[in-house]
Amino acid sequence: MNSNKNFLYNRLKTRKNRDIFFIILAFLILAIFYLAPNPENLTHEGQVMIGILIMAAILWITEPIPLAVTGLLIMIMQPILHVLTPSQVFSSFGNQAVFFLIGAFIIAAAIEKHGLHRRIALRFLSQFDENPRMFILGIMVSCAFLSFVMPEHGVAALFLPIVVSILIAMKVVPKQSNFGKISMLAVAYGCSIGSLGTLIGGARNPLTVGILSEELGITVTFIDWMIYSMPIVMISLPLVWIVLQFSFPIELKDITRAKIEIKNQVIKAGKISGKEMLVLSILALTVFMWVFFSHSVYFGLAVIAIFGAFLLFLTGCINWKDVENRVPWGIILLYGGAITLGIGIQQTGAGEWIANQLFQSAGINIYIVIIAMIVLTVLLTNIMSNIGAVALLLPIGIAVAPELNVSPLFISMLIALSGGLAFMLVISTPGNAITYSSGYFSTRDLFKAGVLANIICIVIVFTVAVVYWIGVLGLHNI
Amino acid sequence: MFNKVLIPISSEYYGKHVLKRGEFLANQFNSKIDLLYIIEEKTLNQTDKISDIYRTPLEKEETKKEIIRKQKLAADNIVFNDAEFIFKHIPFEKKIVEGEFTRVVKSELKKKTYDLIMMGFEKECLLNYRLLDDIDIPVWIVAKSERQSILAVCSNLAPNKKVPEISLKLSEALGWKLHMIYVVDTEDSVHVDENGIRSDKKPENVLLYFGQEFTYEMKKKKINVDVIKGSLEKETLKAAEKIKPKLVILGREQKKKGPLGIPIKNLKKKLAEKCEYSILFVN
Repeated sequence: MNSNKNFLYNRLKTRKNRDIFFIILAFLILAIFYLAPNPENLTHEGQVMIGILIMAAILWITEPIPLAVTGLLIMIMQPILHVLTPSQVFSSFGNQAVFFLIGAFIIAAAIEKHGLHRRIALRFLSQFDENPRMFILGIMVSCAFLSFVMPEHGVAALFLPIVVSILIAMKVVPKQSNFGKISMLAVAYGCSIGSLGTLIGGARNPLTVGILSEELGITVTFIDWMIYSMPIVMISLPLVWIVLQFSFPIELKDITRAKIEIKNQVIKAGKISGKEMLVLSILALTVFMWVFFSHSVYFGLAVIAIFGAFLLFLTGCINWKDVENRVPWGIILLYGGAITLGIGIQQTGAGEWIANQLFQSAGINIYIVIIAMIVLTVLLTNIMSNIGAVALLLPIGIAVAPELNVSPLFISMLIALSGGLAFMLVISTPGNAITYSSGYFSTRDLFKAGVLANIICIVIVFTVAVVYWIGVLGLHNI
Repeated sequence: MFNKVLIPISSEYYGKHVLKRGEFLANQFNSKIDLLYIIEEKTLNQTDKISDIYRTPLEKEETKKEIIRKQKLAADNIVFNDAEFIFKHIPFEKKIVEGEFTRVVKSELKKKTYDLIMMGFEKECLLNYRLLDDIDIPVWIVAKSERQSILAVCSNLAPNKKVPEISLKLSEALGWKLHMIYVVDTEDSVHVDENGIRSDKKPENVLLYFGQEFTYEMKKKKINVDVIKGSLEKETLKAAEKIKPKLVILGREQKKKGPLGIPIKNLKKKLAEKCEYSILFVN
């Protein structure tokens, strides 16, 4: 008994006091919501779901336990507290967006394993080596393009050594050169902006598609997503590029050394191998099928992704060991928690109640709500994991949509795309942390450029939503 | 005076001016220099933690190795390259170590004897500069100022033995003009004796008397001292702004306590953050 006590004491001692505080706080709030009498128009189950939402928010923001474990906790708390049955909770895990994610991760693993992403990156960069400004644009465009076909964090990790090698070859001193700062920031921002473009770039994109299909039966295909998101990507890239140059005027004029370094790296990479060619072909085929067949009832996003993954196994481009090594299973669990959270909020009427309370106090003006949604998402995504931010706000956004007389798809796209705009802090997204580790920019530099880039992107998302989504596509009525 | 100087450079911050000042000092005192490039473990851990759910252990490990490889490359090609050029005629050794800045420096101090640590300071980074409070040898924080003078700060909160001694020696050796102030800290009204022990609270006139006594002692050594009343850090910064010295020398004032008797943390770090001039902490 005594040794058990000691064991428990030692385990608790290894946890930071801060972590223990936030775990207790999260459960305390949930307990209050469980025990307190429920207000009019809100069921007891709905009230408990709001408690679970707040618990998830605390745990996802402060991270005293891994994000994926919070995802699992959300799933088990619903049956334990009698909100939904276990079969209701776990059935949403069979959503095709989960299998789309798995397939997409396997394809990305094959790309990484064979270094195809590096070859594509270098090929792109070598087209932009005329002057320092074009070089920065080249970094952003290359990062964005690669983030269309693989997760953004992998792209940031790929570009870190490539760009640092170039900067070192140019004798650019960390933190003192604006060119050094802007080069690394271009990697971070290029990846973030590119991740908005397709369903593959960030896990929050398939999460949004999954919640829309599971809760409301709305199908968003691969090409649909691109139609909604690409204008934002295409406008944001050049404008953020200008913002970066405005924030840190480039002091260099000559980039001959960069040219030589890129050339050296291209030579070092050698000729494209047979396996790389195969991976490239399978990737091209998969993307082709996503674009042209993902709307088909018998194909869908997940079938095509898994088919692509299957072809990679069949051709020996990848094996199970690679999948074990390169597929982040934790994100699938986080996804599970997020989607059940959304469903629970909707089914118990908690979302509708939150929406009513918000509009009672703030009134309804569609433009104010749009801008408020974008700003809130951007702020939240900067201080916590972006998939967590989207998971917390989507159920509320979907509930708000009918009050505004707009489609839930419209609000969901707003939240999903704003959720990728994590520009300000090192902790905002792994891409920022990875590029910060190069030592080329300070936290202040990131904040300075990030605030401006975020303001510009908020304006872009708002304008595209109002002019293009509502005006041209009529997305608000779908 | 400074036979052996350690210059630790973190991957979080590198300033060429630190090497230049090191060279200047080494020439004056025939010092030997050890250059230590520290790949900051906090940065690596932070990247790892933030990537936790998004990337697999293998991918995180690959990225970590890549970061370390590039940091080493940056140390070799930029920092050490500059050092080879600046320390052309000065004996120096260089080394790359991974770890937490303060911990690495402290472990180096255990291995070898140094007379001085000379380093840069960057506010906007992950370093907490614990070493300013944790070590017993002088720490010189190098800024980019150009004037040729020294501001020595003594106070009721320090033993005031090493500061006058070192500032006088430096002033003579370097030919820099010496300004000395004695701050009677009205926020923490105790008197620290020669052994660094704090007295009970004293009335202001008693503290001023100690100040006058100190002034008299210094006059014997031909040093003029201005006695100032107020908060130690504020008066130090004010005097620095007025004199614009090349170097501010401070003693063991880290013992300062707040109104509730709770020690004020990171006083030295805060001073280094706010002061635009080089600071030598005589620990």
